[in-house]
Amino acid sequence: MVTKLLLRMCCALAALVATDLVTAAPDGRELYMTHCSACHHLGGEGGIGLPLPAAKLADVTDDYLRKTLRNGRPGRVMPAFQRMSDAQVDAIVRFLRQDTHTTDPGFSDAPVVGDVDRGKAIYGEHCIKCHGEDGTGEGKGTGVTLSRERSFLVMPASISNRGFLASASDEMIRKVVVHGRKYSGMPAFGHGKLSDTEIDDVVAFVRAFEQQQAEPEPLDAEERPTHIYESPHDFETTVANVKAALTGANFRIFPDRLLEQGLIDEFSVNSRQVGIRFCNFNVLYGMLKIEPRLGIVLPCRITVIEHEDGTVTLAVPNLRVISRWFNNDELVELWDRMEQTFKDIIDEVTL
Amino acid sequence: MKHLLSRLVAGFALISSAAMANADAMLMSRIPMRAELVLEYVKSSIEEHGYSIAHLQLCDGGMSDFGYKTDFYRVVFFGKIDEVRRISERYPELVSYVPLKLAVIAEKDETLLTVLNPEALAPYFADAELQIQLVRWHSDLESILDDVRRATEKRITGTD
Repeated sequence: MVTKLLLRMCCALAALVATDLVTAAPDGRELYMTHCSACHHLGGEGGIGLPLPAAKLADVTDDYLRKTLRNGRPGRVMPAFQRMSDAQVDAIVRFLRQDTHTTDPGFSDAPVVGDVDRGKAIYGEHCIKCHGEDGTGEGKGTGVTLSRERSFLVMPASISNRGFLASASDEMIRKVVVHGRKYSGMPAFGHGKLSDTEIDDVVAFVRAFEQQQAEPEPLDAEERPTHIYESPHDFETTVANVKAALTGANFRIFPDRLLEQGLIDEFSVNSRQVGIRFCNFNVLYGMLKIEPRLGIVLPCRITVIEHEDGTVTLAVPNLRVISRWFNNDELVELWDRMEQTFKDIIDEVTL
Repeated sequence: MKHLLSRLVAGFALISSAAMANADAMLMSRIPMRAELVLEYVKSSIEEHGYSIAHLQLCDGGMSDFGYKTDFYRVVFFGKIDEVRRISERYPELVSYVPLKLAVIAEKDETLLTVLNPEALAPYFADAELQIQLVRWHSDLESILDDVRRATEKRITGTD
C-alpha cells in the first residue's frame, strides 16, 4: 500500500515537473496556440476574446502586452497568466509582433497631467455613451463575438478594469483618444475635435478610475465546491422530492442518469447513486451568451446517493465557487442569484 | 518508512499547492476543423487514455428543440469506473465533478474544446491521494487535447 502510494506520488511529481518543463519552452507560436488561440482565434481574429489585428498591436507597447498577459482582465474572461515565465511571456509578445509585422510604438511611461474634474465633464459628453459612467463598457458577453451569435459588434473596452489600467500607460491611452481605433469603432478625438489640454484631462479622469478599483470580494474561507446535504427521507422519496421541487422552479428535468452509467455494464451499475439533471433553456441560452464555455459544467445536476447504512445525501455544486473559475463578473452575479434558487430547492426537498 | 512517507506527502502537498494555486481553471484548445469531425478525434483519444465514454450530451439539440438558434455544441462525459467509485466513497464532495466533461463547441468551421481543469479543485482538499488524482486527471486532459491537436493537424496537412 505504502509502496504503491509512493510510486503514485513520484508519477504525479514527474507529471508536474514535466508539465512545467514543457511549458517552459519559449516557442511563442506554440505558446500562443496553447494559451491564447482558443479565445483570440488562430490568426488573432477574436472570438471569446478580443481580436488582435495588426492595427491594434501597432498602437500598444510590448510592455502593455506583457502586463496584459500577466494581469489579465479581472472579471472579463481574459485570465492572468501568472504561472508563465518571463521568457514565455516575452516569446508570446515576440510571436504577436512577428505575426502582425508590428513594432513597439515606444510610448513614454511618464504620467499625463490633467484635471480630473474637467476630464469628467468631457468624458460625460464624449465617452460615456460607449464606455459607461463607470468605464466598464456596455453590452453583455465576453467582450466580442459569441460562438452562439456572431453578429455582435466589438464591445467598448472596459477602461476602468484594473488589469487594463495596470497595463496601459497614460501616453498609450492618450494616443488612442487622439487617433481612435478604426477597427473597433472608437472615434478619434484629436485633430481639433478636442484640444491637447482636454485630452490630457480625459486621460487623467480615466486614470482616476484606479482609485475606485477594489479587489473583488473573496469567497468565504468555508465555501466548498459542493454542498452536501443529508436527506431526512429515503432514497426514492428524496429523488421524487427533488424532481417536484425542480419542476416547481420551472426547470425541465432530463432522464435520470446513474453516476456509474455508461462506465460499467448495466448489471453492475450502482442504482442507488443517481444524477438528477435539469435545465431551463431560456436561462441557459442567456447564460451561453455571457459565457460560451459553460458546457463544461452543464447540465445542472443534483446527485442523490444512498449509503450502505441507508442514509441519503444530496450533492449540489456550489455555483458561487464554479462561476469564479470563468473570470466573468456577469456570470458571477447571475450564479450568485441562482445559488439562492438551488438553496430554496434543497430546503423544499429536505423539509 | 512512515516518517519518510509523511515527509513526502507534505512535500508533495507543498509543491502541488504552489503549482496549483495559480492553475488556470479551464483547459482549452482551438482546432481548425469542423466540430463533427473533431468530436470523433476527441472520443478516440479519450478511449486511448483508458477512459470510457459514459454519455454524449447534445446541448445544441436541446436548445434547438426549444426554438433557440444554436450551432453544434456537445459535451462528452467520460470516466473510469474505479475512479468514480473511489470518489463517491471517499470524496462525496467531488461527485458533482465526475464523470469528467469535455465540451466540443463549433465556431463556424473551427472547434473549441474546453474542459474544467481538475486542479482548480485542488485548493479545497488537503488529502494527498486526492491531490495525486487531480494532477493525474489534469495530465490526462492535457494529453487528450494535445493528441486531438496533433491528430487533426496531421489530417489537415495530409500527413496522417
